Amino acid sequence: MGLEARLPDGILLTTVEKVVNWGRAGSLFPATFGLACCAIEMMSTGAAHYDLARFGMEVWRGSPRQADLMIIAGRVSQKMAPVIRNLYDQMPEPKWVISMGVCASSGGMFNNYAIVQGVDHIIPVDMYVPGCPPRPEMLLDGIVKLHAKIKREQFVERPRKGESMEEFRRRTGWPTAEDVELEGWAAHQPTRKSGESTVAAGTGAGRTSGRRAGGESI
Amino acid sequence: MAGSGSGNPNMASGEATKLRAAHLPEAQLSEQLRAVRDNLVGAFDGMDVIGFRGELTLVCPPEVVLKVLQHCRDDAALSCEMLVDLSGVHWPAGQREEVAEETTGWPRYEFGEQAGRIELDYMVRSLRHNHAFRIRTMLPDDDPRMPTATGIYRSAEIMEREVFDFFGVDFDGHPDLRRILMPEEWEGYPHRKDYPLGGVEVQYVGATVPPPDQRSY
Amino acid sequence: MSDQQQVAPDRPAQDDDADLTTEQTREERAVAAASGAAVAPHTYTVASGEWEDLPDAVEDDLMVINMGPQHPSTHGVLRMVLTLDGETVVDNKPVIGYLHTGIEKNLEYRPWVQGVTFVTRMDYLSPLFNELGYCLAVEKLLGIADEVPERASAIRVIMTELNRVASHLVWLATGGLELGSTSAMIYGFRERETVLDILEYVTGLRMNHAYIRPGGVVQDLPPEFAERVDTLVSELYDRIDEFEDLLTGNPIWVERNKGVAVLTAEQCLDLGVTGPVLRATGLAHDLRKTAPYCGIDQYDFDVVVADTADAFGRYLVRINEMRQSLRIVTQAVAQLPSGPVMVADKKVAWPAQLALGPDGIGNSPEYISKIMGQSMEALIHHFKLVTEGFAVPEGQVYTAVESPRGELGYQVTSNGTNKPYRVRVRDPSFVHIGALADLTNGLLIPDVIAGVASLDPVMGGVDR
Repeated sequence: MGLEARLPDGILLTTVEKVVNWGRAGSLFPATFGLACCAIEMMSTGAAHYDLARFGMEVWRGSPRQADLMIIAGRVSQKMAPVIRNLYDQMPEPKWVISMGVCASSGGMFNNYAIVQGVDHIIPVDMYVPGCPPRPEMLLDGIVKLHAKIKREQFVERPRKGESMEEFRRRTGWPTAEDVELEGWAAHQPTRKSGESTVAAGTGAGRTSGRRAGGESI
Repeated sequence: MAGSGSGNPNMASGEATKLRAAHLPEAQLSEQLRAVRDNLVGAFDGMDVIGFRGELTLVCPPEVVLKVLQHCRDDAALSCEMLVDLSGVHWPAGQREEVAEETTGWPRYEFGEQAGRIELDYMVRSLRHNHAFRIRTMLPDDDPRMPTATGIYRSAEIMEREVFDFFGVDFDGHPDLRRILMPEEWEGYPHRKDYPLGGVEVQYVGATVPPPDQRSY
Repeated sequence: MSDQQQVAPDRPAQDDDADLTTEQTREERAVAAASGAAVAPHTYTVASGEWEDLPDAVEDDLMVINMGPQHPSTHGVLRMVLTLDGETVVDNKPVIGYLHTGIEKNLEYRPWVQGVTFVTRMDYLSPLFNELGYCLAVEKLLGIADEVPERASAIRVIMTELNRVASHLVWLATGGLELGSTSAMIYGFRERETVLDILEYVTGLRMNHAYIRPGGVVQDLPPEFAERVDTLVSELYDRIDEFEDLLTGNPIWVERNKGVAVLTAEQCLDLGVTGPVLRATGLAHDLRKTAPYCGIDQYDFDVVVADTADAFGRYLVRINEMRQSLRIVTQAVAQLPSGPVMVADKKVAWPAQLALGPDGIGNSPEYISKIMGQSMEALIHHFKLVTEGFAVPEGQVYTAVESPRGELGYQVTSNGTNKPYRVRVRDPSFVHIGALADLTNGLLIPDVIAGVASLDPVMGGVDR
C-alpha cells in the first residue's frame, strides 16, 4: 500500500541527499544585510571572538545573487519592505532566511505605523532567533540549528526513520491509499493541501525541491 | 491642568505664555542670555520671551522669523553660526482627556487648545560666544506655511524636509521639498496628534493586548 | 549608398566607417530620403586625431547610478543616488528612511522611564549617549538636575566614555573594511568585545542597555569594576597604538584618505555638522568643554583637533579621541565618589534594586521581601511608580551631549502628564546626511565610500 510512496531508488538518493545537504550546510554564504542594532551583533559574530568562519560562513557576499543565506538583522521599515522582497527574489535557489532579533521576527518593541510586524509578512523564514539584540552565541545557536535543518532536507519525501506512515502523511500531505479512490498511476499522485509544499511544486517559498514540507518544525 | 491662566511661566501652550520682557523672572537666565534677550527684543517688535530652566526662548510671529534668524547670524554680538535644530510640536484644537481607568487613584489629565497650532522651534548656537537659544513660532495647523530658512542656514534644508514629512508644513522656496523618512507616496503626517500610532493587536494564548495607543493603562 | 551621396554632395570620398553622424542626422536623412528632399546633415568626419577633439555627439552624458540601500559599503541602509560624469560624482542625493522606526511617536505613548528603552535603540552604536541625553532632558524638566548624586554622574561619565571608545572602534573596523583592510575589521571588533565585556559586567547587556534612567543610573557598579577597568584601559592603550601602527603610516590608507572628502569649517557650520568632522577642520568645539554635563569638566582632557579638513584628519581625530576618553575613564574611576546612584526624591527614583541571582539579573531578593512582606506602602509606591510613572512639569527643554558622532540633542516637551508630549531627537547623523552632497562633490566613487565612512553616519540615528 504505502510502499509505492517509497521510491525504489530511495537508497541511492539517501546518499546523494546526505552529501548535497552536507555541502550546502557546510558552506552557507550569507548576504550582507544588516539593518539596525542586530547588524552590529551579526558583525561581532563574524568577527574574531565568535568566529563564523569555523562554520564555513566567513565569506559574506555583497551581491544577493551569490548568496545562500539572508540574515535579516534588524527592524524592517515600511520603506525597506519592497527592497527586501526584491533582494530575496534575486537570490538563487536553494536559499534560506534567518530572522534575527525580535524586530525582524515580530516587529519587536516597535508596534507602530513604521515597522512591518515581522519580516515573515514579506518573505518566508526558516529560523527565528529572538533577542534584542541576540547575543552572538544565540545567533550561532540559530545558525547551527539551521544547519541541522538543512541536513535533514529531502529531495523526495519519504518516511523518516522511526516515522509511521500516519505521521508521514500528516507531515507531507501525501494521502494513504485509504484516502483516495483513484486507480493506478493516479493513486500515487499527492493531493496538495493548502499551504503545504510537495515534491513537484513549490508554493509560497518558491521552492522546487521537497524541503519544508508542511509543518516541519524543530 | 494645562489650561490657560495658571500663571506658570514655563508653559508652551495657551494664551498665558506671553510674557513681556519686563516680567521675566531674571533668575532663570544667565547674564549672557539676558544680553541676547535684550538684543533681540530691542531689534524686533512683537517678541515674547520665555525663560525656563535656564533656557531662553523667543516667540515671534511667522513673518518675522527669517529676519530674526538673519539677525542672529549676522549680528556680531549674537553671531550664531549654526542652526542646530528645527523641530515641530503639534498642539491640536479641542479638548482632550487622558485617563487611565485600570487602577483607582490615577490622575485624569485634561488639556485643550482653542485653535490647533504647529509650533516650530529653531535652535541656534554660537560657537564664538558659546550661547544657544530658541526661536519659536506658531503656525495654524490647517494650512501651515513658512518661508524656507535654507538661504540663511543650509542645515535647514534637511530639517525642513523632515518637518514637512511629519507635520505637513509647506516651506516656500525650499529647493527640494519632499518626504524624507516616510516613503514618497505615504499619506498623512505621522507626528501630528490626530495620526494614530498604527500598531497591531498582539495575540497571546487566551488573551490579546491592544496596541499602545489604545491601552487604558 | 545612393542616399548618402545624394544628401552630402560636397563630402570628400572616405571610408564609411570613418563617418560619424549623430542620430538626429540619421533621422533627418531618413526623413529627407522619404520626402525626397536634399537636407544638409550634421556629419563629423574624422580622418585621424584624438577623441577629446571630437565634439560630444551626445550633449548630456551624465549617468545616474543608485548606490544602496543594500550595499556592503554604505553604513547601513543608506541609499545615494549619484549623478556621475564618468566616474566623478557631480551630484549626490541621499535617500534615507529605510530604517524609520517611529521612535519619537512611540515615546508619546509610554511613561517617561520607558522612553529610555526606546531611545537607546536609535543610534545603536552609542546607546548610552542616547539614554544620557534623554535623561538629562527629563531631569532638567523635573528640576532635579542638581540633585542627581555625584556618584551617578561619575558613573554616567565612565560608561559613556567607554561607549565612545566602543563606537569609534566600530567606526575604525567598518571604515577599514570598506577601504579594504579586513585586519582593521577584525582588530576593531576584537577590541570592542573587551569594552563590551565591561559594559555587560555593569549593565547586564552588551548593547541597548537601558542603564541610565531619569534620576541616576539603575544600579550601582559591581565589586571588581575598578580593577577590570584598569586592566581594560592599559590593554586598550596598547591596542590603539597597534591600530596606529597598522594604519597611520600605511601608504594605502594615506592615499585613500588624504585630501578626500574635504569639508571646510564654513561649510561645516553652515550645514550644522558637529563632532569629529568639525574638529578635523580645526575648530575646537566640543560640548564636553563648552556646555559640560554630568560634571565632566572636573576631569582633565584635551579636545582633539586636526587641521586638514579631510578624511585623514577625521581618522586622526577619532583615534586620539579614544585615547582622551580612556584618560577621562581613568580619572573618573580614581575619583569615584561614594554614595547613592539614584536621586533621593522618592517620587522619581526607580524603586527596584537589581541583583544577580541564579537565573540571571532581576529584582534583588531583599527588595522583594520588603515590598511583599514588610511594607504595604512600599508595594503600592513601587507599583504606582513602575506602572504609571511620575508626572513631569510642563515646558520644553533642549539638552545636548557630545556623542561620538557630534551634537546629540533632545527637545523634550511636556504637558504635565506622565507621558512625554513630544520628544524630538536632533541626531548628528541626520544632519550630516544633509552634508553628503557637499562632501562627495567631485569625488570618484571609491572616494565617496571613504568619505561616507569618515563621516560615520549611523542609520538608526538618521532615521529614528
